[in-house]
Amino acid sequence: MRAGSRPKPANFARRAACAASYALAALALDAASVSAQSVGLPAPRLLTTMPMGGKAGTEVEVRITGEHLEEAGELSFSDPRLTATAKTGMDGKPVPNVFVVKIAADCPPGIYEARVMTRLGISSTRIFSVGTLDEVVETKPNATVADALEMKIGSVANGVIADRSVDHLKFQAKKGQKLVIDCAAKGIDSKLTPTLILADEKGRDLVVDRSAGFLAFDVPADGTYLVKIHDLTFKGGVAIFYRLALQESKPGETVARQPGTAAVNAFSWPPQGLAAKSVLAEADPEDPAGKPQKVTLPLDVSGRFFPAADVDEYEFEAKKGEVWWVEVASDRLGRPTDASVLVQKVTKAKGGDGKEIETRTDVVELADVPSPVKVSSNGYAYDGPVYDAGTADPMGKIEIKEDGTYRLRITDLFGGTRRDPDNVYRLIVRKASPDFALVGWAIHMELRNGDRNALSKPLALRGGSTMALEVVAFRRDGFDGPIELALEGLPEGVTATGLKIAAGQSRGMVLVTAKEDAPRGFARAKFVGRAEIAGEKVERAGRLASVSWPIPDSWGEIPNPRLVADVPVSVSGFDKSTITVAPVTQKIEAKAGEKLTVPLKITRRSEFSGASFPVKAIGAGFERVPGFEIPLNADKAEAVVDLKALNLPPGDHLLSFIGGAVAKYRHRPDLVTAAEAEVKKAKDELAAASAEAKTTAEAAKVASLETMSQANMAAAAAVQRENRAKEALPKAEAALKQATDAAQPRDIADIVVVEPIAIHIQPAEKK
Amino acid sequence: MPRQDTHPRLTPRRSMHASIVLLFASISLAIGTSKARANEPRVSFVNDVVPIITKAGCNAGPCHAKAGGGQKGFQLSLLGFEPGEDYEFLMIDGRGRRLSLTRPEASLLLAKAAGKVPHGGGVRLAESSDGYRTLQAWIAQGAEFDGATAPALAKLELTPQKATLKPGESVAIKAIAHYADGSRRDVTGRALFESNDSAMAEVTGEGGVKVSDIPGRVSVMVRYQGKVAVFAAAVPMGAKVENLPPEKNFVDKAVFGNLKELGIPPSPVSDDATFLRRSALDIAGRLPTEEESRAFLADKSPDKRDRWIDTLLASTDYADFFAAKWTAVLKNRRDDASDLLSNFAFHAWVRDSLLANKPYDQFVRELLAATGTVVGNPPVAWYKRVKEPKNQIEDVAQLFLGVRMQCAQCHHHPFERWSQDDYYSLAAFFSQVGRKPSATRGEDLIFHKRGQATATNIKTGAALKPAALGDKMPEITPDEDPRLKLADWMKSPENPFFARALVNRYWKHFFGRGLIEPEDDIRDSNPPSNPELLAALEKHFVASGFDLKDLVRTIARSSAYQLSAIPNAHNLGDRQNYSRYYPRRLGAEVMLDAIDVLAGTRTEFANLPPGTRAVALPDNSYNVSSPFLRVFGRPEGESVCECERVQSSSLAQSLHLINAGDIRGKLAAPTGRAETLAKSDKPAEEKIREIYMVAFSREPKPDEMAAAKAYLSEKRTTAAGQPIDPQRAARENFQDIVWALINSKEFLFNH
Repeated sequence: MRAGSRPKPANFARRAACAASYALAALALDAASVSAQSVGLPAPRLLTTMPMGGKAGTEVEVRITGEHLEEAGELSFSDPRLTATAKTGMDGKPVPNVFVVKIAADCPPGIYEARVMTRLGISSTRIFSVGTLDEVVETKPNATVADALEMKIGSVANGVIADRSVDHLKFQAKKGQKLVIDCAAKGIDSKLTPTLILADEKGRDLVVDRSAGFLAFDVPADGTYLVKIHDLTFKGGVAIFYRLALQESKPGETVARQPGTAAVNAFSWPPQGLAAKSVLAEADPEDPAGKPQKVTLPLDVSGRFFPAADVDEYEFEAKKGEVWWVEVASDRLGRPTDASVLVQKVTKAKGGDGKEIETRTDVVELADVPSPVKVSSNGYAYDGPVYDAGTADPMGKIEIKEDGTYRLRITDLFGGTRRDPDNVYRLIVRKASPDFALVGWAIHMELRNGDRNALSKPLALRGGSTMALEVVAFRRDGFDGPIELALEGLPEGVTATGLKIAAGQSRGMVLVTAKEDAPRGFARAKFVGRAEIAGEKVERAGRLASVSWPIPDSWGEIPNPRLVADVPVSVSGFDKSTITVAPVTQKIEAKAGEKLTVPLKITRRSEFSGASFPVKAIGAGFERVPGFEIPLNADKAEAVVDLKALNLPPGDHLLSFIGGAVAKYRHRPDLVTAAEAEVKKAKDELAAASAEAKTTAEAAKVASLETMSQANMAAAAAVQRENRAKEALPKAEAALKQATDAAQPRDIADIVVVEPIAIHIQPAEKK
Repeated sequence: MPRQDTHPRLTPRRSMHASIVLLFASISLAIGTSKARANEPRVSFVNDVVPIITKAGCNAGPCHAKAGGGQKGFQLSLLGFEPGEDYEFLMIDGRGRRLSLTRPEASLLLAKAAGKVPHGGGVRLAESSDGYRTLQAWIAQGAEFDGATAPALAKLELTPQKATLKPGESVAIKAIAHYADGSRRDVTGRALFESNDSAMAEVTGEGGVKVSDIPGRVSVMVRYQGKVAVFAAAVPMGAKVENLPPEKNFVDKAVFGNLKELGIPPSPVSDDATFLRRSALDIAGRLPTEEESRAFLADKSPDKRDRWIDTLLASTDYADFFAAKWTAVLKNRRDDASDLLSNFAFHAWVRDSLLANKPYDQFVRELLAATGTVVGNPPVAWYKRVKEPKNQIEDVAQLFLGVRMQCAQCHHHPFERWSQDDYYSLAAFFSQVGRKPSATRGEDLIFHKRGQATATNIKTGAALKPAALGDKMPEITPDEDPRLKLADWMKSPENPFFARALVNRYWKHFFGRGLIEPEDDIRDSNPPSNPELLAALEKHFVASGFDLKDLVRTIARSSAYQLSAIPNAHNLGDRQNYSRYYPRRLGAEVMLDAIDVLAGTRTEFANLPPGTRAVALPDNSYNVSSPFLRVFGRPEGESVCECERVQSSSLAQSLHLINAGDIRGKLAAPTGRAETLAKSDKPAEEKIREIYMVAFSREPKPDEMAAAKAYLSEKRTTAAGQPIDPQRAARENFQDIVWALINSKEFLFNH
């Protein structure tokens, strides 16, 4: 199958094709050894909470669903003002997957990350919103006008839409009220692309919105109105949920939209130290092509791409030799815009008729900032990260070649016909202020397979495993120095090693390793980058990104990556990695120019497909080390590093290897042992009960008149016990079968990262 | 070589070749002159030879003007638009065998044309013909190329230009060519004549036109050397026109004025039931409900028809129905499963725009100049399906301007003024459409790419700036999206195409025939059947601010639209003057919905909520799962032409209605109307009235009632003669009645 070509629709055909044509680019798997069917070991994922938020100062009962949430324990949030306790049932026992969430009165409105600690560690995250309005929760289907869920103006409805269905919400309104309806969907991790319809009492459409998740409505007469809400393509199911806020907009007030998550590229905004609000505002925001606004540099101005085909111009004087840096934010503010900046020099001269003639000469045109690393294409194969660290916002420099008047023109290349006053921008023109911003994500295997489940990957470590975060730097105003990476504040038994972003480069890694015997634990870590800029040491907090949903089939769905508010790291304490590859010695002393042999120790805890798997070197300076095979039938291996060929300077270096192998993964074999014990116990009990029944029956037969009654009772009780034991045995056997089936080996391809090796290179002896 | 620079059409590629040609021409001129036939009038290549070749059909599209080499290596320019090239082809190509200057009659050109040597195209010019002799004389005179000196054709004039003819009458038209030097010439024998409606008028010979007995207006297009003139004939019926229906608005004034002129008495205004059903089908694509019908028939107020039209226009049914019409011609096609989102978004955008009554100019502007993502700005989806600038302008021109530009991509439009420069100047508007890949395969983000918009004329190599159908545009700077300027030009009140194309399209929607036919082929040579009416509609539409609902309202309120379909003693033959309503078969989706309503069932469609009607389907993908929609001609969204929707009837359709599985399933549905009525204990008459009211929006006539009652009370037995269970008999009887009504013309047609 050609990369990117569409596979046959039938799953078996696709799987067969994939199995036959596995091809790893970065983590190339040996084609012959692979027959994998899925990608990534099981990971705990919190997928839904119902409701999806609550009002500050209240307690909310929340039901969760997800994948691999076995033994779900604590539900925790990215802010301590949100706390949860397991709900206690009538029987005094905790109700599985139901929690009571307490939202402190001082918890600010906003979005928070919710996660649950499971047997496998901390789950992936789901947004939990906190607001100030009353909340309504859908409890039964509301797919018809008659079944509409009632809500009041000034409240939020939490709902889930069924497949090929339209949810109906009903409210009373008075003539003259200005209502705004705001539907949070993608911003709270829903897969809903909302269509909002304001309808009359009978359900007849009055106003429709399908692109903004937002409707404004002036109530024409007192009465009952409906909001109908459905997915643009009428998708439904647990992932199609929403929080719909219905509010009145009072004169002179702007009703803020509900908060939502930020796209990955927002990590690079704002620059360090930028004031929350700009100093200057666009002079005439209503004029599509107004007169140039006279400004002086430096500049920090806010404006709008409004009305349609808006052109804003800023005129300034500049002197020869000056260099100014321009940065725009609009896309990164979450607006669907594509800003473009053109700087022109303006010269005026008197024409023959004495009239002034103005000529403009292009100085520089600034457009998109491309992603520093190649982003995955939209084909079937996974050929790069889905996280786009680039932006449609322009950035670049203006070099002034001569004194004079200049104009900076800013337009929205997407704005020809759109009239949305919310399409704002912020334009900065500054002297060089070199800096950087960082974003990282759990790395995914590059391979020809549509299974993207593992893109939604919490930092939930198994004992003895190493996970890799890919880190990308957004460099500002010419900064090109090296950036050291670190992850700090980790749970016990976990260490992290930053493979730095080399000078002039954009990509580095952080390797997070849990010791084999690391205890079960969870901590919110700090992800930072450190560099020296203009002689000063600076530290910048990095952001983490993740994909909101596991995607079993890339043909059917487009991943939705977003920034995550925190950096949680956990250790299962139960599950161990299928394989650990570690250096025999953590630190190696070497001499410049020597050929180094690095002995590796291999610990396997699972069967694997194939006899070996390929790895390639990572770590600044080691990229050119030839890839090699790590055996899957031996407990040691050797990596050979030719320091001379690499021409590495003396000093401390970090080396690791990354590759992919296909484990014959068995899910919870411990449950099989336990279930076997249960079966044995049930059998023993049955045997004992049968024997007792027999004995007591015999005894009853020969009992005297005085003891007859007692003997009969004993015999009856024994029969009952025998019957219970007879019922219990098939149940235990079914549980055993279930556990045995689940524990059947399944081929799962996953990343294997070698624990990092510190190499200290001493200068070569001078001869 | 003085002539070299005088032929403007010679491409740089051909200039070397041309020099040789002209060298030959000079030599031949010398030979010709030496023979000195001083008394003979000089034959002009441009003004004699080329017209003869054109008239003989040698340079028609399928013959020697066929793209890629003509026929048997002999290529000519289409319809003689490029005389310079034609001269080259004749003189140089074919190793000079085509023309023999010493023995003109031995020239291959003449020998083939006269059939003296085998010719695939047969005899085109008999030896005795004037044309043959003229060509022979031209060769004998030295086969000179006179492109530089021949007087240019300035105008083609017809006498008479129009006439009022009696049915069956003939007229002879003369075609006079006017040249730039002031000279004139009768070119009737060399001009091409073509009737725009061969049922109404046929061209009988050189300039002869004979009209049939169909009353109305017909035109004959006359072409000569790239110039076109039109002869217009009115064929009045001459009947007395009195007792005209009331003039409700300007539409009636123009329609009835025309009928008076032609002497065609219109049918009277239709009854309430017919109007109710007709307008619901034409405006909202559905049958009136039983309740609506009863309420309307009972309503005695004089303005009830106007109010009903407004009710329909305010409904989502109107938006759904017209969205189906627009999305098909805007090619909302599903070619890949990943098109689902963009197709739903695009369809919804069209539907919502119609529901909100977005001004038509705004709607077109948003489509033309769309940028961004499909979900954020759904008209971007149009750029997903129509990717190339040339397809974009061809679609835009045909859809929104009613102009077919396709021909002008490769050569001058044969019937029109459009040149290749016009074509590429229009394409230049779309030259700065930038694309960036999106996360969805096959889908791009669309943006305005900064730069000077130009498109290259493939023939001349000239980089042309944007110009709209001959109208010069103000300077478009690199920062401006030229598509916005095109949209500005379109909506300008002076634009002769934009409003005309739309009102003509909508007129056809309601009357079954455009004032110009086909509705998207507006050209000087294809005049409207009622120019006053078209002009008035145009003016009204522009003045209303391109208000589509207002246009529909204006048309639907007119008496002309509300005329009965039943012909009177005179107007049966009228097919173009709207003297009565022309009945039409229901479109595929409307018919399926109507059957569902009558049968009390619904059809399930993938990805859509249960109960979604067929007129509300977003794209063509549903044709795959619905044999009904395919058989009844629902379009696949492949063409900008509404003709893709098949409105004709076929045997397959009849068989489908009579006995197809889906129809039988609907009749026998457990919750369907037949089953419900069979179980109901209402009186039989009431049940029959219900069925008629749903199907026809009227009460059953006494004979219909009697027949239905008799059928319901017939004893039913099995093949073996055993009586059938009464419940089953009742169910089957009702199924039969519903089936019979579905298969009636009154049901299947809008009338």
